[in-house]
Amino acid sequence: MEEITRRAPFRDRRTGSLRVRLVALVATAMLASSCASSAPGPTGPASIAPNPTVTANATVAPNPTPSPNTTMTAPPTVTASGSGGGKPQFPMTVTDDEGTQLTLPSEPQRIVSLSPANTEIVFTLGEGAKVVGGTPDDDYPPGAGDPPDVISATTVVIEEVVALQPDLILAAGDGFTPEATIQQLRALGLHVLVVYAGTVDQVLADIDLIGNAIGVGEAATTLTDQMETRVQEVTAAAAAETSKPRTFYEIDASDAIYGPAPDSFLANMIQLAGGVAVTTADAATYEIPLEDLVRADPEVIVLGDADYGACPNDVVARPGWGQMTAVHDGAIRPIDDTIVTRPGPRIGEGLAALAAAIHPDLVLTPPPPAPPAPAC
Amino acid sequence: MSTELAPGIARPTIAIGRFEAIRRRPARLFVLGLGVLAVSIALGIAFGSVSIPLDQTLAILGHRFIGWPSAVTWSPSTETIVLELRLPRVLSAATVGMGLALAGVVLQGLLRNPLADPYVLGTASGAALGAAVALLVPIQFAFLGLGLLHLLAFAGALIAVWLVYRLSGGGSSGSITSVLLTGYAVGSLLAAGLAMAMFLSGDNLRQIFFYLLGSFAASTWAQLAVALPIVAVGSALILSRARSLNALLLGDEAAQHLGLNVRRERTLLLALASLVTAASVALAGLIGFVGLVVPHVVRLVVGPNARAVLPLAAVYGASFLVLADLVARIPGELPVGIVTAVVGAPFFLALLRRYRTGYQL
Repeated sequence: MEEITRRAPFRDRRTGSLRVRLVALVATAMLASSCASSAPGPTGPASIAPNPTVTANATVAPNPTPSPNTTMTAPPTVTASGSGGGKPQFPMTVTDDEGTQLTLPSEPQRIVSLSPANTEIVFTLGEGAKVVGGTPDDDYPPGAGDPPDVISATTVVIEEVVALQPDLILAAGDGFTPEATIQQLRALGLHVLVVYAGTVDQVLADIDLIGNAIGVGEAATTLTDQMETRVQEVTAAAAAETSKPRTFYEIDASDAIYGPAPDSFLANMIQLAGGVAVTTADAATYEIPLEDLVRADPEVIVLGDADYGACPNDVVARPGWGQMTAVHDGAIRPIDDTIVTRPGPRIGEGLAALAAAIHPDLVLTPPPPAPPAPAC
Repeated sequence: MSTELAPGIARPTIAIGRFEAIRRRPARLFVLGLGVLAVSIALGIAFGSVSIPLDQTLAILGHRFIGWPSAVTWSPSTETIVLELRLPRVLSAATVGMGLALAGVVLQGLLRNPLADPYVLGTASGAALGAAVALLVPIQFAFLGLGLLHLLAFAGALIAVWLVYRLSGGGSSGSITSVLLTGYAVGSLLAAGLAMAMFLSGDNLRQIFFYLLGSFAASTWAQLAVALPIVAVGSALILSRARSLNALLLGDEAAQHLGLNVRRERTLLLALASLVTAASVALAGLIGFVGLVVPHVVRLVVGPNARAVLPLAAVYGASFLVLADLVARIPGELPVGIVTAVVGAPFFLALLRRYRTGYQL
């Protein structure tokens, strides 16, 4: 078995659903964490997302510092609105995205978040002060990284979660938070809410779900209404475009080529952003052979790995890539991967950025976040 | 139990050094080992990523187990950490450490090969393949706190050894070499199956990978309650057959002349070692080095007599893994297999250099 685990190259910089190489990554991350490396650089092996098996919809954000060049449009903020409404009723029973019913005896005051998206949702809903534990990748909004991390390398440290005495744990589904961890936490009598968004609509539903569970349902509705408006504007503008370019969203291509799987969150985003997604062969695969990519002939290549060193000039120089229309036309565009792939409050902005990458002439008000400057 | 040297087995006359005094006293070493184990377990419960004052830890344990009338000054979460997370975890590590070290002694002796370890006869690949299959099968299953993974890992390990045993001609005249080679071949075949399963596993790859490195992070009382009796009974039976193991060390023919039913004893010891290994890997995944290094270290210190080596390997193997797990926890849940290798290998090398001459199984 050791041969198998050693086979993978150790030069990866990022996670994502790069399952073939996850083995190497986990190993490096574990070694790195033993050196208590707390300052992951953009190329360091320590910069690892909490979960190497993230699917396309989950957050893929190895680099905790957003590029300084990225002018982030202010995300929808929620103020204490709708104060007149009735107070949320606890005990409250909610059903999470895995169908598990959860009865919360009282309004949660001590929340542990096991994914950056969940942290971002709670903070954006104005309840950040209640977050007592988070992940090493919590980087937005400001202050989100302050609560102590309960995830070490890729593992949820159960002991630390228990010590924080949380009355609500926000986990991420589809393997992001390991199933065994969720079971173990529940066996200890803790309330675990599992969210998992496969589409943009589900992101909105998850924000409502979390909002309800933490007693700020109205604020969540206000937020998701704003987000929905933005999503609809972008979708409508993108739909009005006559062209529907075949778009390949590059998750990583430093070794093998990774892109969205069919019917994945990213594929859904690309469709809403007015493109036709070039996807891998099936839903469980995130690797796409170069032959298949050449045959699919993308008209636009979006560099989701722009923050991790990929740059358009290099794409042009890659052997075999020159035949693609996107390369001919120079339609290779970097993007801020975090806002596109993190299923949180900024997903409307992520969609706008993606639409702008696919349709450069698209006029959106407010304008989408500027793409990151090329790393080269 | 008696740990005096059996008559007729020569004490190796090497390296008159600092340890010579203890070498002659395996019984003292054993008592010392029990002390080390107790301290290791205490440390394992007292320390972790969350710091809990020592007096509080002791108070919680005393309150729960011997009805110590101390005022409850701790939070329920602290009690959960001590009683539901650390205690089963530490005891699991001790159980597995004891089991793997004993299985290592037995297999090194049976196969008369210093490179043998508990996994040498396909147990590791069998268990890993079983675990991988369990993760691929979309069936949720739980019995006595055990998931499909534990059961299939256990079954996989046993089936692999049974296969090796049958293919190599059973315990009969089949030479030791053929058993070893069959073990290698079957292990390779199963490893190919494992590689295939990993390739197909998609998002489950991480779980398989963590299983391959071994960890006690998910230990529960329920799992320990199933695995502990198997390991304990298997270990006790192994300890009771120390004399057979001594005889087998002399070679099949010599053992036969000593009146030993070689075939039966060999089969029995193999079965016991496999059972203990299978229960251990089902509990904690594949933890390397314990079953290889601990028996050697013990032998380097007290010589090859199995009646001394077995009990010592049991206590020191248990202590070693408890401490390794503690070290693994401090930086935040490293897989314990990394720690056993990182700590075990240099230590072993140092010992080997010290006792360079006259080493024998």
